[in-house]
Amino acid sequence: MKNTVKSVVPVGHRYIRGNVLEKGNIVGVEEDKAAWAKDLDLPRQAEYTFFAGCGYQFMKYAEGMTRAARTMQKAGIGMDKSISMNIGMSKVLGKVGIDLGTITAKVAAAGKEDVYTRILVSAVSVIRKLGVDIGYLHQDEPCCGSPLYYAGFLDDYVENAQKNYELFKSLGIQKVIGLIPACTSSLRNLYPHYVEGFDLKVYHFAEVVAQELKKKGIKPKLKEKLVVTYHDPCQLSRYLDIIDEPREILNNIDGLELREPEPEQRGQWSTCCGGGGLEAGSPELCERLGRRRAEELLETGANVIVSHCPACIMQLKNSVKKLKADVAVMDLVEILDEALE
Amino acid sequence: MKSNHGSDDDTMKEMEREILANIQLCINCRMCLNMCPTYEGWFTQGSFGRLAAINAYFKYGLGEEERLSELLYSCATCRRCQERCKMLCTNASPSETILKARNLLVKKAQAAERKGS
Repeated sequence: MKNTVKSVVPVGHRYIRGNVLEKGNIVGVEEDKAAWAKDLDLPRQAEYTFFAGCGYQFMKYAEGMTRAARTMQKAGIGMDKSISMNIGMSKVLGKVGIDLGTITAKVAAAGKEDVYTRILVSAVSVIRKLGVDIGYLHQDEPCCGSPLYYAGFLDDYVENAQKNYELFKSLGIQKVIGLIPACTSSLRNLYPHYVEGFDLKVYHFAEVVAQELKKKGIKPKLKEKLVVTYHDPCQLSRYLDIIDEPREILNNIDGLELREPEPEQRGQWSTCCGGGGLEAGSPELCERLGRRRAEELLETGANVIVSHCPACIMQLKNSVKKLKADVAVMDLVEILDEALE
Repeated sequence: MKSNHGSDDDTMKEMEREILANIQLCINCRMCLNMCPTYEGWFTQGSFGRLAAINAYFKYGLGEEERLSELLYSCATCRRCQERCKMLCTNASPSETILKARNLLVKKAQAAERKGS
């Protein structure tokens, strides 16, 4: 049949849409949302509310799924519309011997050291070290819904946004600190456009930290000298216009040398690593983009690639591994947490 | 949902008008092509080619929607093209236009599904 949602939206995007609408997160797992914050004793009410977002919390699952999607496309299954049109994502994956249920169960059971949720813990610790009063909604934190917007499901996105705004209002939230660039840009730039009377103040983690460091005159110090390069996430540099803040933070750290990529590959002109926008739609293209960006960053000769977005971190980690380069990929938050006393 | 058909059609027309008006601003300078991270030599792999495809499809009814959808969803929505357009050319906001076209495509498909069922 002509003109169906199935024939115009790639299967990955439809799968994520289902997860967001039914389970309230991008990967569709039900357990352990907010498990990372269990020992942190975060209050529900505070001056600022921390918006953790789906990215870091569920990246361990997303990693397995992206790998599965790549295998699928390489096996020629994602390409064949007739297959993906008639049966669901889990059945398609089942064809190549991948069961999504097992992937999520395996990750959960192995209890493997999760590098992504650790970043969230570090972020809270950094904010606390700077003396900012912060709270967290724990299980009640909704999904901002930005994958819906970028997949083209505008109606669903608007409905979700309105629902979230009512929730925020009912809980008396006024100021939000977002960590994930995509969530923050969704809350800050898109919500006011689609939700009537939206009046929350949305800040990004890097803005708050840069401001507090300057105000308090704190100079973080690293124990070992690091040579790093910074990769600007698209959503942070071009959607939110936060280009100088991460650099201010990095340059302010004692014992850290920042080597920038070429001028036409950084800041406003930073090349996209393909992590956020392409994983769901075109996994193979996404892999090529990641390799190209990693090569650009490796040319700087830095030992550590620093970025500030879960999708970029995952993508660059994979690409560096593929290129067999001896370079670490870290989040800005991790370095900062290490450097702050 | 049948009562919504009228307003749905209006919204879609308005969206289409907006998209085509944006594309009209493009002066075909192709400065955005080399900015596009997915551009690997083929015209349709870059933002300029995507805009051309959107224009052809919505204005003249050329091309198939499956093919258009492939072009639209291969965009990383990184906005690098848009920055270049804003700085050098006419602010045709290619990235935004691609997102709007995705919305319209989905909306049309949903409307057709409702009519069919």
